[in-house]
Amino acid sequence: MTVGGWIFLIVCWGIIISLVTFCYLRILQDNGSGDTPEEQ
Amino acid sequence: MEKIRERWGSKLGIILAVAGSAVGLGNFLRFPSQVAKNGGNAFIIPYLVALVLIGIPLVWVEWTAGRFGGGHGHSSAPGIFQRLWKNNPIAKYIGAVGIFGPFVIYMYYVYIESWCLAYAYYCLIGHMNFTSSDAYVQFLQWYQGVDSPGVFSGSMPAVVFFLITFLINISVTYFGIRGGIERLCNIALPTLFVMAVVLAIRVLTLDAPAGAPEGQTSMGGMGFLWNPDFSSLLKPKVWLAAAGQVFFTMSVGMGVILTYSSYLRKKDDIALSGLTAASTNEFAEVVLGGSIIIPAAFVFFGPQFLADPSHLGSFDLAFFAMPQIFAGVPGGSFWGFMWFGILFLAGITSSVSITQPGVAFLQDELNLTRPKAVAMFGIAAFILCQPAMWFLHRGVLDDLDFWGSNLIIVCGAAIEIILLAWVFGIDKAWKELHEGASLKVPIVFKYIIKYVSPTLLLAMLGWWFATEWWSVITMKDVPSENIPYVLGLRLLLLGLFVLLLVLVYVAWKRKRMTARSES
Repeated sequence: MTVGGWIFLIVCWGIIISLVTFCYLRILQDNGSGDTPEEQ
Repeated sequence: MEKIRERWGSKLGIILAVAGSAVGLGNFLRFPSQVAKNGGNAFIIPYLVALVLIGIPLVWVEWTAGRFGGGHGHSSAPGIFQRLWKNNPIAKYIGAVGIFGPFVIYMYYVYIESWCLAYAYYCLIGHMNFTSSDAYVQFLQWYQGVDSPGVFSGSMPAVVFFLITFLINISVTYFGIRGGIERLCNIALPTLFVMAVVLAIRVLTLDAPAGAPEGQTSMGGMGFLWNPDFSSLLKPKVWLAAAGQVFFTMSVGMGVILTYSSYLRKKDDIALSGLTAASTNEFAEVVLGGSIIIPAAFVFFGPQFLADPSHLGSFDLAFFAMPQIFAGVPGGSFWGFMWFGILFLAGITSSVSITQPGVAFLQDELNLTRPKAVAMFGIAAFILCQPAMWFLHRGVLDDLDFWGSNLIIVCGAAIEIILLAWVFGIDKAWKELHEGASLKVPIVFKYIIKYVSPTLLLAMLGWWFATEWWSVITMKDVPSENIPYVLGLRLLLLGLFVLLLVLVYVAWKRKRMTARSES
């Protein structure tokens, strides 16, 4: 794999993995266990 | 009396269910095949652009429209479209597309899913250790029953594995949103991810066969996908292929997310949940899907194999190349079982999702109980799955795939986004998206949803009508001996669509009569 290939792979994977991590951390932060309240 | 609506058990439950719907065979088979066919790295750039301009906006559109419709007691496109279009009488008939599309995909998807289950079984019992490449081709032909010419294809093992797969699908649907689909996805999706990570690590540490030239390594295979080749960026075909892949992978335009999100409450977040499900799917596709099949084929067969477009069909790579590769490594039966197990789990979390729009329509609009709705859907689906199995050798499955996975979902997506952004109104839609949101969506997406995404979708449809419409309608590329079968299938699909329109008519007529008698 060329240097250009490595750079592109790291950038693309980096964006996706960061996004996934951000989303799940936000969900944990917002909901604790992630559960929604039971319907009234 | 007001019916009690089903609800998701948890926020994570719906995210995994939507991600499970999106993570399907396309992530592990179609994506690497499309990347390799379209210039490797150069494909990734249009793919990411299409993801931002079409994929993610459509995800938010469907989540918004679905939760809005659910708030008015509708879980399928006919009712939701009618609510979005202020009770316009035509809207519910347009919404029939949102039940028709998933049905068409279901007609062949479950059969392919059953191949994965069968191959996982055959790998596990050590049956997939053939000595020549041709033997793998012959095995699949024997399994599909297309090795001996006749009116019907199909074999007894294929029928048995189809029945098992079909029964699992219907059973999960029977147990409902929380007890069936959510429970399945809560187990299947994490299992799939763990298996895929383990398999990707195994593939990336594969040794080349003895005597292979230098450079035939797994990193060389990754280079095949990721090394820059910007010349392909100037080819419109690559951009269209990238947009098509984004559609296929995100499960947008087929009405599934509409239905899933309709079981949310009004104050449940959809902005962050939609983005989370979409990014989970992208992780499965770009990171995991791109690290298994192409690097493995590169190490084992070399770059010449991947340079030949005839080897890059999704099924060729999955059912011929991968079992051969695993047969040549220690513990090959186990790794083969893992590979087809991943495909089966990816398939089943998607196929149960495509049952739901039809079942929800029968429940909500025709007032059937869930057991009755599932039984009715199951009988119809079982009958309609037969052509793909028995006339596989007549091009029936390919034709179903074209209509279901290409044209209908693009049309469905174009209708959804125009209805929400233009008819319902982008300001109202934007407010609806942010109701209870855990994330503020950047304002630029408001304009992308209103102007950019619909324009690109209409351009895709326009391109198709300009270049392919006539040859598809006249079956120009269908071999003459297959024309009666493909024509028969198309008439069957037309009949199914008309039947759905009639059911929509009957459902609303009954509603009117009930309302009149109550008043």
